Amino acid sequence: MLDLFQYSFMQNAIIISLLISILCPIIGIFLVLRRYSMIGDTLAHSSLAGVAVGLVLKVNPILSAFIITSFFGISIELLRSYFKKYAELILTIVLSLSVGIAITIMSSQNVNANVESFLFGSILTVTRTDLYTVLFLSIVSVITIIMLYNQMVFIAFDEEGAQIAGIKVKIINYIFSILVSATVAVSIRIVGVLVLSSMIALPVAAALQLEKGFKATLLYSMLFSVIDIILGIYISYYINAAPGGVTAIISVITLVVVISFKNIRSYMYK
Amino acid sequence: MININNLSFSYTRKPPYTLSNLNLNINKGDYISFVGENGSGKSTLVKLILKILSPTIGDINYECTNIGYVPQRFENLNTQFPITVKEIMNCYRKTLKIKDKTCIEKYLALVNMLDNKNSLIGNLSGGQCQKIFIARALMGKPELLILDEPSNGVDQKSQDEIYALIKDLNRNEAITVISVEHNLKAAISNSTLIYHLSSGNGHLCKPEDYIEEFVMSNTGGKIHA
Repeated sequence: MLDLFQYSFMQNAIIISLLISILCPIIGIFLVLRRYSMIGDTLAHSSLAGVAVGLVLKVNPILSAFIITSFFGISIELLRSYFKKYAELILTIVLSLSVGIAITIMSSQNVNANVESFLFGSILTVTRTDLYTVLFLSIVSVITIIMLYNQMVFIAFDEEGAQIAGIKVKIINYIFSILVSATVAVSIRIVGVLVLSSMIALPVAAALQLEKGFKATLLYSMLFSVIDIILGIYISYYINAAPGGVTAIISVITLVVVISFKNIRSYMYK
Repeated sequence: MININNLSFSYTRKPPYTLSNLNLNINKGDYISFVGENGSGKSTLVKLILKILSPTIGDINYECTNIGYVPQRFENLNTQFPITVKEIMNCYRKTLKIKDKTCIEKYLALVNMLDNKNSLIGNLSGGQCQKIFIARALMGKPELLILDEPSNGVDQKSQDEIYALIKDLNRNEAITVISVEHNLKAAISNSTLIYHLSSGNGHLCKPEDYIEEFVMSNTGGKIHA
Protein backbone atom coordinates (compact mmCIF):
# COMPACT_ATOMS: atom_id res chain seq x y z
CA MET A 1 0.00 0.00 0.00
CA LEU A 2 2.96 2.28 0.61
CA ASP A 3 4.67 1.28 -2.66
CA LEU A 4 3.84 4.56 -4.30
CA PHE A 5 6.25 6.39 -1.97
CA GLN A 6 9.24 4.69 -3.59
CA TYR A 7 8.79 6.68 -6.82
CA SER A 8 10.81 9.88 -6.93
CA PHE A 9 7.97 11.87 -8.54
CA MET A 10 5.76 10.78 -5.64
CA GLN A 11 8.38 11.81 -3.08
CA ASN A 12 8.58 15.24 -4.75
CA ALA A 13 4.79 15.47 -4.74
CA ILE A 14 4.55 14.54 -1.04
CA ILE A 15 7.22 17.08 0.01
CA ILE A 16 5.50 19.83 -1.99
CA SER A 17 2.13 18.78 -0.53
CA LEU A 18 3.42 19.09 3.01
CA LEU A 19 4.76 22.56 2.21
CA ILE A 20 1.36 23.48 0.74
CA SER A 21 -0.43 22.22 3.84
CA ILE A 22 1.70 24.51 5.99
CA LEU A 23 1.55 27.60 3.77
CA CYS A 24 -2.09 27.54 2.63
CA PRO A 25 -3.69 27.65 6.10
CA ILE A 26 -1.23 30.28 7.37
CA ILE A 27 -2.18 32.59 4.52
CA GLY A 28 -5.76 31.32 4.45
CA ILE A 29 -6.51 32.19 8.07
CA PHE A 30 -5.67 35.85 7.43
CA LEU A 31 -7.62 35.89 4.14
CA VAL A 32 -10.70 34.28 5.71
CA LEU A 33 -10.71 36.43 8.85
CA ARG A 34 -10.27 39.62 6.87
CA ARG A 35 -13.09 38.45 4.58
CA TYR A 36 -10.70 38.32 1.62
CA SER A 37 -11.17 34.65 0.66
CA MET A 38 -12.10 35.64 -2.88
CA ILE A 39 -8.75 37.42 -3.29
CA GLY A 40 -7.12 33.99 -2.93
CA ASP A 41 -9.41 32.61 -5.62
CA THR A 42 -8.77 35.56 -7.94
CA LEU A 43 -5.01 35.31 -7.53
CA ALA A 44 -5.15 31.56 -8.09
CA HIS A 45 -6.81 32.21 -11.45
CA SER A 46 -4.37 35.06 -12.16
CA SER A 47 -1.49 32.63 -11.79
CA LEU A 48 -2.65 30.95 -14.99
CA ALA A 49 -1.39 33.99 -16.90
CA GLY A 50 2.01 33.49 -15.22
CA VAL A 51 2.02 29.79 -16.10
CA ALA A 52 1.22 30.61 -19.74
CA VAL A 53 4.01 33.22 -19.88
CA GLY A 54 6.45 30.74 -18.32
CA LEU A 55 5.57 27.98 -20.79
CA VAL A 56 5.95 30.31 -23.78
CA LEU A 57 9.24 31.83 -22.56
CA LYS A 58 10.44 28.38 -21.41
CA VAL A 59 11.16 29.49 -17.84
CA ASN A 60 9.97 27.61 -14.74
CA PRO A 61 6.17 28.17 -14.73
CA ILE A 62 6.07 28.24 -10.90
CA LEU A 63 8.51 31.14 -10.86
CA SER A 64 6.74 33.04 -13.64
CA ALA A 65 3.40 32.38 -11.90
CA PHE A 66 4.83 33.85 -8.68
CA ILE A 67 6.06 37.00 -10.45
CA ILE A 68 2.88 37.62 -12.44
CA THR A 69 0.59 36.77 -9.48
CA SER A 70 2.59 39.16 -7.25
CA PHE A 71 1.99 41.87 -9.83
CA PHE A 72 -1.77 41.22 -9.75
CA GLY A 73 -1.74 40.93 -5.92
CA ILE A 74 -0.09 44.34 -5.59
CA SER A 75 -2.53 45.74 -8.18
CA ILE A 76 -5.49 44.54 -6.04
CA GLU A 77 -3.99 46.24 -2.99
CA LEU A 78 -3.44 49.47 -4.96
CA LEU A 79 -6.96 49.44 -6.39
CA ARG A 80 -8.48 48.73 -2.96
CA SER A 81 -7.86 52.32 -1.88
CA TYR A 82 -9.30 53.57 -5.19
CA PHE A 83 -12.52 51.47 -5.23
CA LYS A 84 -13.11 51.60 -1.47
CA LYS A 85 -16.82 50.83 -1.56
CA TYR A 86 -16.78 48.30 -4.41
CA ALA A 87 -14.03 45.91 -3.37
CA GLU A 88 -15.50 42.98 -5.34
CA LEU A 89 -15.25 45.07 -8.53
CA ILE A 90 -11.44 45.03 -8.21
CA LEU A 91 -11.44 41.24 -8.27
CA THR A 92 -13.55 41.21 -11.43
CA ILE A 93 -11.14 43.64 -13.10
CA VAL A 94 -8.03 41.63 -12.14
CA LEU A 95 -9.69 38.33 -13.02
CA SER A 96 -10.76 39.61 -16.44
CA LEU A 97 -7.29 40.92 -17.26
CA SER A 98 -5.30 37.94 -16.00
CA VAL A 99 -7.52 35.18 -17.39
CA GLY A 100 -7.80 37.20 -20.62
CA ILE A 101 -4.01 37.24 -20.91
CA ALA A 102 -3.82 33.52 -20.09
CA ILE A 103 -6.43 32.49 -22.69
CA THR A 104 -4.90 34.73 -25.37
CA ILE A 105 -1.39 33.34 -24.85
CA MET A 106 -2.54 29.73 -24.55
CA SER A 107 -4.72 29.81 -27.63
CA SER A 108 -2.25 31.67 -29.84
CA GLN A 109 0.94 29.88 -28.74
CA ASN A 110 -0.50 26.37 -28.58
CA VAL A 111 0.58 25.49 -25.03
CA ASN A 112 -2.78 23.98 -24.06
CA ALA A 113 -1.51 20.49 -23.29
CA ASN A 114 0.97 21.65 -20.64
CA VAL A 115 -1.46 24.09 -19.09
CA GLU A 116 -3.93 21.33 -18.24
CA SER A 117 -1.71 19.96 -15.47
CA PHE A 118 -1.68 23.41 -13.85
CA LEU A 119 -5.45 23.72 -14.13
CA PHE A 120 -6.29 20.44 -12.40
CA GLY A 121 -3.06 19.68 -10.53
CA SER A 122 -0.75 16.79 -11.26
CA ILE A 123 1.54 14.39 -9.42
CA LEU A 124 3.33 12.87 -12.40
CA THR A 125 4.65 16.14 -13.83
CA VAL A 126 6.36 17.35 -10.61
CA THR A 127 10.09 17.76 -11.28
CA ARG A 128 13.11 18.28 -9.03
CA THR A 129 13.36 21.90 -10.30
CA ASP A 130 9.74 22.43 -9.24
CA LEU A 131 10.59 21.01 -5.82
CA TYR A 132 13.55 23.36 -5.33
CA THR A 133 11.54 26.39 -6.52
CA VAL A 134 8.68 25.50 -4.17
CA LEU A 135 11.10 24.85 -1.31
CA PHE A 136 12.76 28.24 -1.79
CA LEU A 137 9.46 30.16 -2.01
CA SER A 138 8.05 28.30 1.01
CA ILE A 139 11.07 28.90 3.25
CA VAL A 140 11.19 32.62 2.40
CA SER A 141 7.41 32.91 2.95
CA VAL A 142 7.40 31.09 6.29
CA ILE A 143 10.32 33.19 7.59
CA THR A 144 8.51 36.40 6.52
CA ILE A 145 5.29 35.26 8.21
CA ILE A 146 7.10 34.38 11.45
CA MET A 147 8.71 37.84 11.46
CA LEU A 148 5.42 39.65 10.80
CA TYR A 149 3.11 37.28 12.70
CA ASN A 150 2.07 39.67 15.49
CA GLN A 151 1.55 42.62 13.20
CA MET A 152 -0.52 40.49 10.81
CA VAL A 153 -2.73 39.17 13.66
CA PHE A 154 -3.17 42.70 14.99
CA ILE A 155 -4.13 44.05 11.54
CA ALA A 156 -6.55 41.17 10.90
CA PHE A 157 -8.28 41.71 14.26
CA ASP A 158 -8.22 45.50 14.51
CA GLU A 159 -6.75 47.30 11.47
CA GLU A 160 -7.41 50.79 12.83
CA GLY A 161 -5.94 49.91 16.23
CA ALA A 162 -2.87 48.47 14.52
CA GLN A 163 -2.36 51.68 12.56
CA ILE A 164 -2.67 53.75 15.75
CA ALA A 165 -0.21 51.45 17.54
CA GLY A 166 2.36 52.36 14.87
CA ILE A 167 2.20 49.29 12.61
CA LYS A 168 2.90 50.12 8.95
CA VAL A 169 -0.39 48.61 7.81
CA LYS A 170 -0.08 49.54 4.13
CA ILE A 171 3.42 48.09 3.76
CA ILE A 172 2.41 44.87 5.53
CA ASN A 173 -0.67 44.59 3.31
CA TYR A 174 1.59 44.76 0.23
CA ILE A 175 3.96 42.15 1.69
CA PHE A 176 0.92 39.99 2.46
CA SER A 177 -0.20 40.23 -1.19
CA ILE A 178 3.20 38.88 -2.24
CA LEU A 179 2.90 36.07 0.34
CA VAL A 180 -0.51 35.10 -1.07
CA SER A 181 1.07 35.04 -4.54
CA ALA A 182 3.91 32.83 -3.29
CA THR A 183 1.38 30.44 -1.72
CA VAL A 184 -0.56 30.28 -4.98
CA ALA A 185 2.61 29.63 -7.00
CA VAL A 186 3.70 26.90 -4.58
CA SER A 187 0.31 25.18 -4.71
CA ILE A 188 -0.64 25.21 -8.40
CA ARG A 189 1.53 22.21 -9.35
CA ILE A 190 -0.28 19.76 -7.07
CA VAL A 191 -3.66 21.32 -6.34
CA GLY A 192 -4.20 23.16 -9.63
CA VAL A 193 -5.51 26.63 -10.33
CA LEU A 194 -9.20 25.81 -10.41
CA VAL A 195 -9.67 24.53 -6.87
CA LEU A 196 -6.72 26.15 -5.14
CA SER A 197 -8.97 28.41 -3.06
CA SER A 198 -10.39 25.27 -1.42
CA MET A 199 -6.97 24.64 0.16
CA ILE A 200 -6.76 28.25 1.30
CA ALA A 201 -10.23 28.58 2.81
CA LEU A 202 -11.68 25.16 3.71
CA PRO A 203 -9.19 23.87 6.32
CA VAL A 204 -9.54 27.28 8.04
CA ALA A 205 -13.34 27.06 7.83
CA ALA A 206 -13.18 23.62 9.49
CA ALA A 207 -10.81 24.84 12.23
CA LEU A 208 -13.04 27.86 12.96
CA GLN A 209 -15.83 25.45 13.92
CA LEU A 210 -13.79 24.35 16.94
CA GLU A 211 -13.99 27.87 18.46
CA LYS A 212 -10.42 28.08 19.73
CA GLY A 213 -7.94 30.96 20.03
CA PHE A 214 -5.91 32.22 17.07
CA LYS A 215 -2.86 30.00 17.42
CA ALA A 216 -4.95 26.88 18.11
CA THR A 217 -7.19 27.65 15.09
CA LEU A 218 -4.09 27.99 12.93
CA LEU A 219 -2.65 24.66 14.14
CA TYR A 220 -5.96 22.85 13.55
CA SER A 221 -6.14 24.41 10.06
CA MET A 222 -2.71 22.93 9.31
CA LEU A 223 -3.79 19.55 10.63
CA PHE A 224 -6.92 19.51 8.44
CA SER A 225 -4.86 20.74 5.51
CA VAL A 226 -2.35 17.87 5.87
CA ILE A 227 -5.20 15.34 6.08
CA ASP A 228 -6.96 16.81 3.02
CA ILE A 229 -3.94 16.99 0.77
CA ILE A 230 -2.22 13.71 1.69
CA LEU A 231 -5.51 11.80 1.36
CA GLY A 232 -6.15 13.71 -1.88
CA ILE A 233 -2.84 12.63 -3.40
CA TYR A 234 -3.16 9.05 -2.17
CA ILE A 235 -6.68 8.56 -3.52
CA SER A 236 -6.03 10.40 -6.78
CA TYR A 237 -3.06 8.09 -7.45
CA TYR A 238 -5.16 4.96 -7.03
CA ILE A 239 -8.19 6.17 -8.98
CA ASN A 240 -5.98 7.82 -11.60
CA ALA A 241 -7.59 11.24 -11.18
CA ALA A 242 -6.15 14.77 -10.96
CA PRO A 243 -5.17 15.51 -7.31
CA GLY A 244 -6.78 18.97 -7.36
CA GLY A 245 -10.30 17.64 -7.73
CA VAL A 246 -9.92 14.86 -5.15
CA THR A 247 -8.32 17.22 -2.61
CA ALA A 248 -11.14 19.74 -3.04
CA ILE A 249 -13.78 17.04 -2.46
CA ILE A 250 -11.96 15.74 0.62
CA SER A 251 -11.59 19.22 2.10
CA VAL A 252 -15.37 19.73 1.78
CA ILE A 253 -15.96 16.30 3.39
CA THR A 254 -13.60 17.21 6.26
CA LEU A 255 -15.52 20.45 6.81
CA VAL A 256 -18.87 18.59 6.84
CA VAL A 257 -17.48 15.98 9.28
CA VAL A 258 -16.20 18.70 11.65
CA ILE A 259 -19.53 20.59 11.53
CA SER A 260 -21.46 17.34 12.15
CA PHE A 261 -19.13 16.39 15.02
CA LYS A 262 -19.61 19.83 16.57
CA ASN A 263 -23.40 19.67 16.28
CA ILE A 264 -23.61 16.11 17.64
CA ARG A 265 -21.40 17.07 20.57
CA SER A 266 -23.42 20.19 21.42
CA TYR A 267 -26.65 18.12 21.11
CA MET A 268 -25.27 15.48 23.52
CA TYR A 269 -24.17 18.04 26.11
CA LYS A 270 -27.47 19.97 26.00
CA MET B 1 -1.08 68.58 25.59
CA ILE B 2 -3.01 68.85 22.30
CA ASN B 3 -3.49 72.10 20.47
CA ILE B 4 -5.93 72.23 17.55
CA ASN B 5 -5.52 75.34 15.39
CA ASN B 6 -8.03 76.56 12.79
CA LEU B 7 -8.73 72.99 11.80
CA SER B 8 -11.06 72.28 8.89
CA PHE B 9 -11.59 68.88 7.35
CA SER B 10 -13.38 67.50 4.33
CA TYR B 11 -13.24 63.89 3.09
CA THR B 12 -13.14 65.23 -0.48
CA ARG B 13 -10.38 67.74 0.46
CA LYS B 14 -12.61 70.65 -0.67
CA PRO B 15 -15.68 72.50 0.74
CA PRO B 16 -18.17 71.81 2.26
CA TYR B 17 -16.22 70.85 5.37
CA THR B 18 -17.22 68.11 7.84
CA LEU B 19 -15.35 70.09 10.50
CA SER B 20 -14.96 73.81 10.12
CA ASN B 21 -12.37 76.12 11.69
CA LEU B 22 -12.03 74.31 15.03
CA ASN B 23 -9.79 75.67 17.78
CA LEU B 24 -9.30 73.61 20.91
CA ASN B 25 -6.69 73.26 23.64
CA ILE B 26 -6.65 70.04 25.60
CA ASN B 27 -4.51 70.34 28.71
CA LYS B 28 -2.83 67.63 30.77
CA GLY B 29 -5.32 66.12 33.21
CA ASP B 30 -8.44 67.14 31.27
CA TYR B 31 -11.27 64.65 30.82
CA ILE B 32 -13.06 65.98 27.77
CA SER B 33 -16.15 64.45 26.18
CA PHE B 34 -16.96 65.07 22.53
CA VAL B 35 -20.74 65.16 22.19
CA GLY B 36 -23.16 65.93 19.38
CA GLU B 37 -25.64 64.37 17.00
CA ASN B 38 -24.76 61.52 14.62
CA GLY B 39 -22.71 62.94 11.74
CA SER B 40 -21.65 66.00 13.71
CA GLY B 41 -17.98 65.09 13.23
CA LYS B 42 -17.05 63.64 16.66
CA SER B 43 -15.46 60.46 15.31
CA THR B 44 -13.83 62.40 12.45
CA LEU B 45 -12.19 64.72 14.99
CA VAL B 46 -10.91 61.72 16.96
CA LYS B 47 -9.49 60.18 13.77
CA LEU B 48 -7.70 63.46 13.08
CA ILE B 49 -6.23 63.49 16.59
CA LEU B 50 -5.17 59.86 16.13
CA LYS B 51 -3.54 60.81 12.78
CA ILE B 52 -5.70 58.30 10.87
CA LEU B 53 -6.88 61.33 8.85
CA SER B 54 -4.97 64.52 8.03
CA PRO B 55 -6.40 68.03 8.36
CA THR B 56 -7.48 69.75 5.13
CA ILE B 57 -6.70 73.17 6.64
CA GLY B 58 -4.99 73.98 9.95
CA ASP B 59 -2.99 71.69 12.19
CA ILE B 60 -2.84 69.72 15.42
CA ASN B 61 0.18 70.10 17.73
CA TYR B 62 1.06 67.37 20.19
CA GLU B 63 2.96 67.56 23.44
CA CYS B 64 2.45 63.87 24.15
CA THR B 65 3.81 60.77 22.44
CA ASN B 66 1.93 57.90 24.07
CA ILE B 67 -1.71 57.75 23.04
CA GLY B 68 -3.93 54.82 24.02
CA TYR B 69 -7.05 54.12 21.96
CA VAL B 70 -10.16 52.14 22.90
CA PRO B 71 -12.15 51.47 19.71
CA GLN B 72 -15.90 51.43 19.32
CA ARG B 73 -16.56 47.74 19.82
CA PHE B 74 -19.53 47.21 17.55
CA GLU B 75 -18.41 49.37 14.66
CA ASN B 76 -14.81 48.37 14.14
CA LEU B 77 -14.31 44.90 15.50
CA ASN B 78 -15.16 41.42 14.38
CA THR B 79 -16.22 40.03 17.75
CA GLN B 80 -16.36 36.50 16.30
CA PHE B 81 -12.63 36.63 15.55
CA PRO B 82 -10.99 33.48 17.02
CA ILE B 83 -8.70 35.15 19.50
CA THR B 84 -8.31 34.91 23.26
CA VAL B 85 -7.95 37.86 25.62
CA LYS B 86 -4.36 36.83 26.34
CA GLU B 87 -3.55 36.72 22.60
CA ILE B 88 -4.98 40.24 22.11
CA MET B 89 -2.89 41.57 24.99
CA ASN B 90 0.23 39.69 23.89
CA CYS B 91 -0.08 41.00 20.34
CA TYR B 92 -0.17 44.57 21.62
CA ARG B 93 2.69 43.93 24.06
CA LYS B 94 4.91 42.62 21.28
CA THR B 95 3.92 45.46 18.94
CA LEU B 96 4.96 48.00 21.58
CA LYS B 97 8.11 45.90 22.26
CA ILE B 98 7.31 45.61 26.00
CA LYS B 99 9.62 42.92 27.40
CA ASP B 100 7.81 42.38 30.72
CA LYS B 101 5.30 39.55 30.07
CA THR B 102 3.72 39.96 33.52
CA CYS B 103 2.24 43.32 32.47
CA ILE B 104 -0.59 41.39 30.76
CA GLU B 105 -1.78 39.96 34.09
CA LYS B 106 -1.17 43.29 35.83
CA TYR B 107 -3.46 45.29 33.52
CA LEU B 108 -6.10 42.56 33.26
CA ALA B 109 -6.22 42.54 37.08
CA LEU B 110 -6.57 46.33 37.07
CA VAL B 111 -9.82 46.04 35.08
CA ASN B 112 -10.96 42.92 37.01
CA MET B 113 -10.66 40.68 33.97
CA LEU B 114 -7.83 38.36 35.00
CA ASP B 115 -10.22 35.38 35.26
CA ASN B 116 -11.14 35.84 31.59
CA LYS B 117 -7.54 35.68 30.37
CA ASN B 118 -8.16 32.54 28.30
CA SER B 119 -11.67 33.44 27.11
CA LEU B 120 -12.41 34.09 23.45
CA ILE B 121 -13.23 37.74 22.81
CA GLY B 122 -16.49 36.64 21.12
CA ASN B 123 -17.70 35.02 24.36
CA LEU B 124 -17.42 38.23 26.39
CA SER B 125 -20.17 40.78 27.04
CA GLY B 126 -19.97 44.35 25.72
CA GLY B 127 -18.78 45.65 29.09
CA GLN B 128 -16.11 42.95 29.43
CA CYS B 129 -14.84 43.73 25.91
CA GLN B 130 -14.50 47.42 26.74
CA LYS B 131 -12.53 46.58 29.88
CA ILE B 132 -10.16 44.39 27.83
CA PHE B 133 -9.56 47.21 25.34
CA ILE B 134 -8.97 49.67 28.17
CA ALA B 135 -6.45 47.22 29.68
CA ARG B 136 -4.80 46.86 26.27
CA ALA B 137 -4.54 50.62 25.85
CA LEU B 138 -3.12 51.05 29.38
CA MET B 139 -0.32 48.58 28.67
CA GLY B 140 1.36 51.28 26.57
CA LYS B 141 1.34 53.62 29.63
CA PRO B 142 -0.51 56.36 27.71
CA GLU B 143 -0.45 60.02 28.66
CA LEU B 144 -3.66 60.42 26.66
CA LEU B 145 -6.48 57.85 26.51
CA ILE B 146 -9.02 58.18 23.69
CA LEU B 147 -12.27 56.21 23.93
CA ASP B 148 -14.87 55.93 21.18
CA GLU B 149 -18.31 55.56 22.78
CA PRO B 150 -17.23 53.43 25.76
CA SER B 151 -20.82 52.74 26.87
CA ASN B 152 -22.08 51.53 23.47
CA GLY B 153 -23.70 48.09 23.91
CA VAL B 154 -22.77 47.95 27.58
CA ASP B 155 -25.24 47.22 30.44
CA GLN B 156 -25.73 49.79 33.22
CA LYS B 157 -23.70 47.93 35.85
CA SER B 158 -20.71 47.59 33.52
CA GLN B 159 -21.09 51.23 32.41
CA ASP B 160 -20.80 52.31 36.07
CA GLU B 161 -17.65 50.20 36.49
CA ILE B 162 -16.09 51.47 33.25
CA TYR B 163 -16.72 55.15 33.99
CA ALA B 164 -15.47 54.71 37.59
CA LEU B 165 -12.28 53.21 36.14
CA ILE B 166 -11.82 55.99 33.54
CA LYS B 167 -12.46 58.64 36.18
CA ASP B 168 -9.95 57.00 38.51
CA LEU B 169 -7.30 56.87 35.76
CA ASN B 170 -7.93 60.54 35.02
CA ARG B 171 -8.03 61.83 38.59
CA ASN B 172 -5.44 59.57 40.25
CA GLU B 173 -3.10 58.49 37.45
CA ALA B 174 -3.18 61.90 35.69
CA ILE B 175 -4.12 60.34 32.36
CA THR B 176 -5.76 62.85 30.05
CA VAL B 177 -9.00 61.47 28.61
CA ILE B 178 -10.89 62.19 25.39
CA SER B 179 -14.17 60.32 25.11
CA VAL B 180 -16.58 60.37 22.18
CA GLU B 181 -19.97 60.18 23.88
CA HIS B 182 -23.56 59.52 23.00
CA ASN B 183 -24.24 59.00 26.68
CA LEU B 184 -24.86 62.61 27.82
CA LYS B 185 -25.50 61.60 31.42
CA ALA B 186 -22.10 59.91 31.63
CA ALA B 187 -20.41 62.83 29.86
CA ILE B 188 -21.87 65.40 32.26
CA SER B 189 -21.22 63.44 35.44
CA ASN B 190 -17.67 62.26 34.65
CA SER B 191 -15.86 64.71 32.41
CA THR B 192 -14.22 67.98 33.35
CA LEU B 193 -15.00 69.57 29.97
CA ILE B 194 -17.55 69.03 27.21
CA TYR B 195 -16.90 69.82 23.57
CA HIS B 196 -20.17 70.03 21.67
CA LEU B 197 -19.98 69.50 17.92
CA SER B 198 -22.80 70.53 15.65
CA SER B 199 -22.72 70.93 11.86
CA GLY B 200 -18.92 70.84 11.95
CA ASN B 201 -18.59 73.64 14.53
CA GLY B 202 -17.34 73.12 18.06
CA HIS B 203 -18.16 74.71 21.40
CA LEU B 204 -16.29 74.06 24.65
CA CYS B 205 -17.94 74.35 28.05
CA LYS B 206 -17.94 72.97 31.57
CA PRO B 207 -20.35 70.11 32.30
CA GLU B 208 -22.36 72.24 34.72
CA ASP B 209 -22.92 74.82 32.00
CA TYR B 210 -23.66 72.30 29.28
CA ILE B 211 -27.31 71.54 29.97
CA GLU B 212 -28.14 75.20 30.19
CA GLU B 213 -26.25 76.04 26.99
CA PHE B 214 -27.60 73.00 25.17
CA VAL B 215 -31.16 74.03 26.05
CA MET B 216 -30.32 77.55 24.92
CA SER B 217 -29.02 76.24 21.59
CA ASN B 218 -32.32 74.53 20.97
CA THR B 219 -34.06 77.84 21.62
CA GLY B 220 -31.77 79.84 19.37
CA GLY B 221 -29.05 80.44 21.97
CA LYS B 222 -25.33 80.85 21.42
CA ILE B 223 -24.03 77.29 21.61
CA HIS B 224 -22.64 77.40 18.06
CA ALA B 225 -21.11 80.83 18.51
